[in-house]
Amino acid sequence: MKSKGVCLVAGLAILGLILGLSPLGAAEKKVVIGFTASQTGKLNVEGMRQVNGLNLWVDQVNAKGGAKLPDGTVVKFEAKFYDDESKKERVQELYTRLINQDKADFLISPYSSGLADAAAVISQQNNRILITAGAASDSTYKKGFSLVFQTYTPASRYLTGAIDLLAKMDPQAKKVAIINEKDKFSTDVVNALKAYATDKGYQVVLFEGYEPGATDFAPFINKIPAGVDAVMGGGHFADTSTFAKQLFEKGMKAKMVALLVAPPEDKFAELGEAANGVIGPSQWEPQAKYSPEAAKAEGKEWYGPTVKEFTETYRAKAKEEPTYHSAGGYVAGLLLQKAIEQSGATDTAKVKEVLDALDIYTFYGRVKFDATPKNHGLQLGHDMIYIQWQKDAQGKLFKQVVWPEASKTGEVAPYRTK
Amino acid sequence: MRTWKLPGFWIPLALVFAWGLIILIMGQDTARETAFTLMMFVAMASSLNILLGYTGYVSFGHIVFFGLGGYFGFFLLSQHDWNLFLAAIAGGALSAVLAGLLGMAVLRLRGAYFALATIGINEAARAFVSNFEPFGGATGLFVNFAAYERYGGAGKALWLTFILLWVATLAVVLVSFLVKHSRFGLGLMAIREDEDAAMVMGVKAPRAKTITFTISAFFPGVIGTLYFFKNGNVEPGDAFQLHMSIESLVMVMLGGQGLVLGPMVGAVTYQGLRGYLLTSPIFKDLHLAVAGVFLLLIILFVPAGAVGWVRGRFPRVRRFLE
Repeated sequence: MKSKGVCLVAGLAILGLILGLSPLGAAEKKVVIGFTASQTGKLNVEGMRQVNGLNLWVDQVNAKGGAKLPDGTVVKFEAKFYDDESKKERVQELYTRLINQDKADFLISPYSSGLADAAAVISQQNNRILITAGAASDSTYKKGFSLVFQTYTPASRYLTGAIDLLAKMDPQAKKVAIINEKDKFSTDVVNALKAYATDKGYQVVLFEGYEPGATDFAPFINKIPAGVDAVMGGGHFADTSTFAKQLFEKGMKAKMVALLVAPPEDKFAELGEAANGVIGPSQWEPQAKYSPEAAKAEGKEWYGPTVKEFTETYRAKAKEEPTYHSAGGYVAGLLLQKAIEQSGATDTAKVKEVLDALDIYTFYGRVKFDATPKNHGLQLGHDMIYIQWQKDAQGKLFKQVVWPEASKTGEVAPYRTK
Repeated sequence: MRTWKLPGFWIPLALVFAWGLIILIMGQDTARETAFTLMMFVAMASSLNILLGYTGYVSFGHIVFFGLGGYFGFFLLSQHDWNLFLAAIAGGALSAVLAGLLGMAVLRLRGAYFALATIGINEAARAFVSNFEPFGGATGLFVNFAAYERYGGAGKALWLTFILLWVATLAVVLVSFLVKHSRFGLGLMAIREDEDAAMVMGVKAPRAKTITFTISAFFPGVIGTLYFFKNGNVEPGDAFQLHMSIESLVMVMLGGQGLVLGPMVGAVTYQGLRGYLLTSPIFKDLHLAVAGVFLLLIILFVPAGAVGWVRGRFPRVRRFLE
């Protein structure tokens, strides 16, 4: 009997040892993040910045020893990606491959709404979470997907802040002219802008679209009625830059010119005098004033690096200034890390549950997703910031954050005074 | 009826049939997706070959029928709740009708003039669709994810789309062969060799060309509907990409124009190569450069296309490689 008792005790001891050690045995887990990126093709500049941002996050989290779950498991991340050539043809093929062949546990979207939509069908079908970065169109989130989450402020809120800014700048302003590229994103933006402006009592005196790839805007500029207070619209980098240049050359007299996509890019300053005074919405800028203290004051949790830490590490690694595309790539990974840590699991259902309820601040600003079935995954928390190109004392162009009030680094100036 | 007995008739059909069957038996998503892309281009190139290969008319507008037909099919599917099968047929029918009307006007042009007119048609179609509100204008159309539920969930819907594409590809190959071996097809080839002489011999060239144009336009419309349904959305920029027209031309030339098997071989080679390079760890950053070099070599050394070259070199296999 005694020997049996010894055996039992010894057995229990061994069992205890095994149980005690087992977390060490299963201590490390690898999570694969899959995505396609526009390495080549028309979206390659934006697409590659997004990849640089994401890679920086992977390096940093792994260098710190991975994400730590409450049960002691350490999760390390690995990024797998293919080139989608900025074209839709192979997006679904590549995402299916990422899921089945490369065993991706979580997905990040390609750059641009059209490509992200195609990827979302595959991710939803295979029960994988897809964090979208660079897919701003609202329509993606109205399609009944339950596993797609947006990091960008949706297109419908891209230029509405410019109307608020105009109201503050000149309460007398009444007339707005809207000229935009006729593609999905820009059209979504201006349709929402028009509705918002009309709602606020503004008169939309011109509402015209130009074909993608347009280079001559004179016919549109000539149509702008005299006495207009603000010109808004644009589309993507090339056309918007040319549009800004031609507005300047034609001697446009308006208090405000607010255009899409191009103004936040540093290259926009190459327009020289024509860039001066132009306002543009941006998802994020290195001058952004988000801080753990401000988050705390609002009663929200802060997660991840500060704006300064992100900007400096990105600059050191990628050898370029971070833009909002870079920040978008980084934050997509960061959100997954947060959700995995908080849920203590790497399975889709648990991580989704955390993402649905998430309301935090990061260096990128606030993030909160719509969890209703109708607009599931739509970004609600994040706000645009508006930059304006202004001249410093030496006459050199620089970017000033002029809106919203909480983030601004200086006062807004009228577009043209002469 | 003799055509039924020719091995050249059975080989392409059997190949496509076996290909789809193997994918179905494997039941693997990755294999299906890869096959979908390849098969889509096989069908696109084969349908273009009916016009290009048999009549010698170079059309840069083949993608217009993919775009417009696909748009129409997708419109019926997403806005009017049509069944995928019927919507695809309707998309094809619209493309065919448009091609008929268009053909009556532009097929009176010959050679380079016709080719130039087709480029214009592509741009015109895109501009039309981005201003046409029922088709969603510049923002395009989309289906709710719940639309896939009707076919038993997204997984099954994607399989169904593949099966329909497979059937469409079989149909293209069958039609290619039947046209080639008909009296009508002989008339087309006479047009290709010398249009004036053909007309003197009694071939009603403008009518024959228009009918061919109509037949060749039907299939892109069907494929377009399937492709957009699978993507869940359609936008003007994706629907009318001139480069896809050009790629289809390249695939036909690569495999051998005027042959049933030619475009199949061309499409599989070209797209297979692109797909492989895109995902291979060694070439994935250089894929476009490598694909370019391959193309250059093939066009320099095998101008008749792969199948054409084999037929020229080994006369005995001609009856197997139509």
